Amino acid sequence: MSKIVIDHLARVEGHGGITVEVEGDTVGQVHFDVFEGARLLEPLVRGKRFDEVAPVLSRICAICSVAHTLTSLKATENAFAVRVSPQTELLRELLFRGESIESHALHLFLLAVPDYLNYPSAIALSADKPAVVLLGLRLKKLGNLIQETIGGRAIHPVNAVPGGFGKAPVIEQLIELRSALMQGVTDSDAAMDLMTTLPPADFCHCDTVYAALRSPSLDSYYAGDEVMAVSDGSRAIVHANDYKTLTNERAMPHSHAKHSAFREKPFMVGSLARLTVNPRRLTGKLAVAKKRLKLQLPADNPMDNNKAQALELINDVERALEIIEQLLRAGVKDEPPVPVQPRAATGTAITEAPRGLLIHSYTYDAEGRITAADVITPTALNAASMEMHFRKAVEQSAERDDAALSRKLQMIARAYDPCVSCSVHLLRRQ
Amino acid sequence: MKPLLVIGLGNPLMGDEGIGWHVAERLSADPRLPAGAEVACGGTDLLRHAARMEQRRRVIVVDALRDDAEPGSVWAWEERGASGAGEPSEPGGAGASACQPVLSPFAGLDNRQENAHCLSAVQAIQLLRMTVAVPITLLGISIPIASMQAGLSPELAARMPAILDRVLRELE
Repeated sequence: MSKIVIDHLARVEGHGGITVEVEGDTVGQVHFDVFEGARLLEPLVRGKRFDEVAPVLSRICAICSVAHTLTSLKATENAFAVRVSPQTELLRELLFRGESIESHALHLFLLAVPDYLNYPSAIALSADKPAVVLLGLRLKKLGNLIQETIGGRAIHPVNAVPGGFGKAPVIEQLIELRSALMQGVTDSDAAMDLMTTLPPADFCHCDTVYAALRSPSLDSYYAGDEVMAVSDGSRAIVHANDYKTLTNERAMPHSHAKHSAFREKPFMVGSLARLTVNPRRLTGKLAVAKKRLKLQLPADNPMDNNKAQALELINDVERALEIIEQLLRAGVKDEPPVPVQPRAATGTAITEAPRGLLIHSYTYDAEGRITAADVITPTALNAASMEMHFRKAVEQSAERDDAALSRKLQMIARAYDPCVSCSVHLLRRQ
Repeated sequence: MKPLLVIGLGNPLMGDEGIGWHVAERLSADPRLPAGAEVACGGTDLLRHAARMEQRRRVIVVDALRDDAEPGSVWAWEERGASGAGEPSEPGGAGASACQPVLSPFAGLDNRQENAHCLSAVQAIQLLRMTVAVPITLLGISIPIASMQAGLSPELAARMPAILDRVLRELE
């Protein structure tokens, strides 16, 4: 029996990345171990006041700090029945778009494209194809600019507070963002051109359940309280308050993260799930781009998540432009945050982080202090689905060479764009 | 804009892994900080600070280094043009002369695509070279292990004054 071990995806001691056992044509154990930092942060917020929670939990991930901050605020506001203003809703959606542009650009250009073109890293790719890497860096910078302008700083947004915004952007800042986004339209079109030239990655096919925030009339990563799960033509709706009926988490001996399954089946969250659940987003330019990418929905290939991210990149830039035009037309009001009156209650929020559904659920006491917190990240939600796709990829591969299989498994892992242990950042010696 | 920029990387909720962040916080309140230096707590994604680096005379990145050296040891990787040179030195500076220069800007550091969705400081600096023409010094601070806890271990916290002295020397 051979064992394929890909341990350098994990960054924390004792958490081993991907392990697959193969004997002839038979695939044995398939394990994916995620260091799930969010779980360990939950005790740190117990006893915290409602206005102290989001700044702590935003540190779960530097790439998704906007999603964690805004999902945290939404959960707190749901607990205290706070309804934020339409301007706050728009500014929060704009923040989400900035984070998504940055995250997708980073993932597609610096992590996925080198895989497709057979380069070991973005640095190696930059030596031969600097224009590709520069395009990705430009788009990433655009996403950063949106987050810094609206959120108040480069990481961990300080302007977003319970009930609204501490400081709204001024008109001049929005005009500057609009100008940068105009260039972003050209760059996201160029990104699509690049994606259509990549070689196919057809090494894993299977029926997949997809789950995403449902937004029938809105194109939103933030608004909405229902999740739709789509499987082989059937659809099911789960309200945010009933999220445990979606996740059905269970502890796994081999993984730090719990596994989730809806009606006994693993499910996939992220860009591909969002477009599957909300196909009405794919009109006009996006419909043409989908055709160019030869993307069929619902897809049976997890690698198509990369195509879905490219489509979202175009949509995120356009949606951010629309929001800015809307804010400029209406004028940005200097409105104070809606006052928060704490009470003993539970509040749950579900949003779409760049890599999929993000759930925060808190229980507060009458003084507005946390007594229980539950944070479920998209990577944890995806863990069981990833294992399923790893198994299928090995079963469907005619190659039994460890290096070839290892490359396919890593490409699938990266297509999920997982946050394996992003709360950690270390230098290591060779 | 101040000519010097210090960026402390790390997550303060991950124990000693957040040493770069803690150094930045302490440094920004240190009266010895030169007037020409700006300090930023940088989180875990150095690429996010690309725009902030532009137009500086020099950037110093402080990050945790997972190795077997004495906790709190500070190692410097100084970029010197295309050939570069590694210049490891300990907080007291005693180690500087003990090591020979090497021929890679970050010799001895792991350059693999380690994380599935984020780049290490070593990789990020190499990519930043495409858009930012500012000399970057990387300071690695030895830590024994990264684990989820608020604040530094007592062992590393005790070394903080010496670490700050070493970082401030870099700004002279």
